[in-house]
Amino acid sequence: METRCGAEAKGDCLVVVDNDGGPKTDLAARSKQLLERGLRAVIDETLSKLDASDISIAVTDSGALDYVLVARIEAAVRGVLPEKPPISPPVQRKGTERDRPRRSRLYAPGNNPRLLAGIEIHGADCVLLDLEDSVPAEEKPAARILVKHLLAAVPFAEETWVRINPLDCGGLEDVAEVLRGRPHGICLPKADSAADVAKLAEELARLEDEFGLGVGSTWIMPIIETARGVLHADEVAAADPRVAIVAFGAEDYTRDLGALRTSESLLFARGRIVAAAAAAGVQSSDTVYADLADMEGLAEEAQRARALGFDGKGAINPRQIDPIHHAFTPSEQEMEQARAIVAAAREAELQGLGAVALNGKMIDKPVLERARRVMRHAEKLTKGGDRDA
Amino acid sequence: MHNAAGRDIPETIGSRAVRPFAGASATPNRGSKAARPQKWVYERDSKLLASIEEAIEATELSDGMTISFHHCFRDGDRVVNQVLDACARRGIKDLRLYPTALFPVHKPVIDHIESGVVSRIEGSMNGPVGAFVSQGGKLAEPAVLRSHGGRWRAVEAGDVAIDVAFVAAPQADAYGNATGMRGKTPCGSISFSAVDAQYARKTVVITNDLAPYPVHPMEIQQGWTDYVVEVDEIGDPESIVSGTLQLTKSPTRLRIARLTADAVVASPYFVDGFSFQGGAGGISLAVTKYLGDAMERAGIVGSFGMGGGTKLLVELLHRGLIRTILDGQAFDLDAIESLREDAGHVLIDPGLYANVDSCGCATHKLDAAFLGATEVDLDFNVNVNTHSDGQLLHGIGGHQEVAAGASMTMITVPTLRGRIPVIVDCVTTVTTPGEVIDVIVTERGLAVNPRRDDLKERLTAAGLPVRPLEEIKAEAERLVQPIARPVFGDEIIAAIEWRDGTIIDVVRKVEGWT
Repeated sequence: METRCGAEAKGDCLVVVDNDGGPKTDLAARSKQLLERGLRAVIDETLSKLDASDISIAVTDSGALDYVLVARIEAAVRGVLPEKPPISPPVQRKGTERDRPRRSRLYAPGNNPRLLAGIEIHGADCVLLDLEDSVPAEEKPAARILVKHLLAAVPFAEETWVRINPLDCGGLEDVAEVLRGRPHGICLPKADSAADVAKLAEELARLEDEFGLGVGSTWIMPIIETARGVLHADEVAAADPRVAIVAFGAEDYTRDLGALRTSESLLFARGRIVAAAAAAGVQSSDTVYADLADMEGLAEEAQRARALGFDGKGAINPRQIDPIHHAFTPSEQEMEQARAIVAAAREAELQGLGAVALNGKMIDKPVLERARRVMRHAEKLTKGGDRDA
Repeated sequence: MHNAAGRDIPETIGSRAVRPFAGASATPNRGSKAARPQKWVYERDSKLLASIEEAIEATELSDGMTISFHHCFRDGDRVVNQVLDACARRGIKDLRLYPTALFPVHKPVIDHIESGVVSRIEGSMNGPVGAFVSQGGKLAEPAVLRSHGGRWRAVEAGDVAIDVAFVAAPQADAYGNATGMRGKTPCGSISFSAVDAQYARKTVVITNDLAPYPVHPMEIQQGWTDYVVEVDEIGDPESIVSGTLQLTKSPTRLRIARLTADAVVASPYFVDGFSFQGGAGGISLAVTKYLGDAMERAGIVGSFGMGGGTKLLVELLHRGLIRTILDGQAFDLDAIESLREDAGHVLIDPGLYANVDSCGCATHKLDAAFLGATEVDLDFNVNVNTHSDGQLLHGIGGHQEVAAGASMTMITVPTLRGRIPVIVDCVTTVTTPGEVIDVIVTERGLAVNPRRDDLKERLTAAGLPVRPLEEIKAEAERLVQPIARPVFGDEIIAAIEWRDGTIIDVVRKVEGWT
């Protein structure tokens, strides 16, 4: 039997395997003299890891990075030999704090090596590798494997997340595969209830244990994008300690409502999600801005989202990151204010005063907490990300 | 012997004694320029000949001579092939070709090499002719590659004596004035041929648009032109210039462009009167756009932008963000129109643009420049001529003189092209030495030449991701297995001249692989 995976497209490779007729390796590549040895090394090592060295394989390379090639081979081999266990690539990844700057979450389609290449360089606070809407059904098995190897191979400076499919539509298979690449978190689409989140959390705990990761080390980002989800936003946000941030998805939500997408029609959902997140002590992130050509519209919407209380916003293209970061980074004036408040609090503490005052005005505890958080995040932002080892 | 760029070069290349590269500005040339031939024509009315073959006969073009061309039609050129075909029909052998550059459209040159019509090439070879020559054993003497300014210099110095200059002209009059700015297939300036036309023993203007006297602007003047030939076709407008060049959409390339523009803005040069060179590559175009926006925000007006003229550069002129465009060659129709219409859009020839043997060329007045490369190495040396497989596939263009001239020379490159790393231990060919390169900009950060700690401080203070080049290199290498390297034999395929005529490197024939 023969299966194929990948494509003859820039940054990808086409892998065709046949479990009859091996062992045999055919290789086609541009600049073959330069690349052949390296390509063969990857092919041999991957087949050996899969315990499938006796297979017949044909690779046509179009500039695939090593992890793409590994992923395509694994997907093709497991297509003909489903009993082969998945590869668990070595991963070095530092954990992240639950509360950290998450101004942007940059989506990238998990099935497209060309668009995934260099996804780590754009300075997004969260890189979000998508297995859901941007991946056609027939490509989902290969995309999971690609995302797994990408997570292991690429040096990310910031947080990595994977948007899985809904749990009853392939989401469990997604998690089982990609957790081997140790993402910082999992985005759960169409999160409608606390039960959805709990189910994912339970599965994560099981897999973390199985893979020898710390139990509880994987964050969850429920994406609220249905009318039901909006109404249950409070229980979703508070469903599990793994929930670090709640995101809003406006496209599905407006479709669910039969509403036009306007700032008015989204206001209720936005307000509710921000409030639910705040009540649960987690962050909230606004929906993506779909018009890539309209940078001013994006900047405006990001400013409005910040004013509503969101901590960040989704981006569908790296170009959108700058305006988003601009909107969600504390201004110099806000920093000034925060510094003054924190300093006043320290002064009050030194003098043994219970109440904190600044310029004759009392500072409430929540305001002080907010100021401390602004300072904490700002420090992270100026320091830059902790690059993976 | 090893030259100042650390490259192993022989004492002679073919029949030529080598002057080794001694440093980017170490070899001032003394003495006088070569004499131009005295030309005298008494016919008042016309220098018209009926065909290229008649021109070949009239110029007494014969075996072993040197003929020259410009590359202003780029991949749309129809003139080089027509002239060589005519030479072949007349049984002429052993020509030395002295084009500014050859493109894929000139693939038939290969047949003329095989049949002995052409035996030497001194000029840039982009694509198939370069690949063919790279196989070795094809030419009587190794090819010689020169920069735009270096080629001009070589003619003035008498290093290369041209027998017949063929000048493709989008419009010309019968008395030999010619321009690239008008006609049926405008290409921008044709002044790349101005030095050829003045120094060649005979000069032939070839046009498809014979217009009433006097044709202007006179990039080629009647006083230099011996003959004029009208032909049906000189070039394919589709391939000569783009309608409008497209800004890149690649996030990686846009990221490089953004970092480049940010670095310029953070540099001490970004003040009123600032000047820069923009190119036509996707990254360069994006940098030009970002810089324009930054100048507008900062209220800075630049003294000049240097072309390759493009729509984007023209827009900066129209928005009042730069006072002048100094333009050596137009890359799109907007630039050509602006050259005709805008007083601030100034045509410059390659001598004024880039010739080091002069009392100062325009590139020496540049503040910032952003250039491409096929490879860069840990000593900041830059290769634009060969690929990592040793194939000679590109010309030098103005790379050397812009890099040497600009106060802040930035090389903009992705860390990987497909599976092939761009940052290497040691470049396959040194086109431009590391001593004139200030910053290498990649999508993974910027590396500043250790000679420029002042710049490094500025860029770091501005929050730019300044990193050691070794670290950026290692990060890219994590994503791909190492590539094989070519093993070179003794045969020299091509000599790479530094802009002053010294030899900075040679390209050797690939004999095997590590």
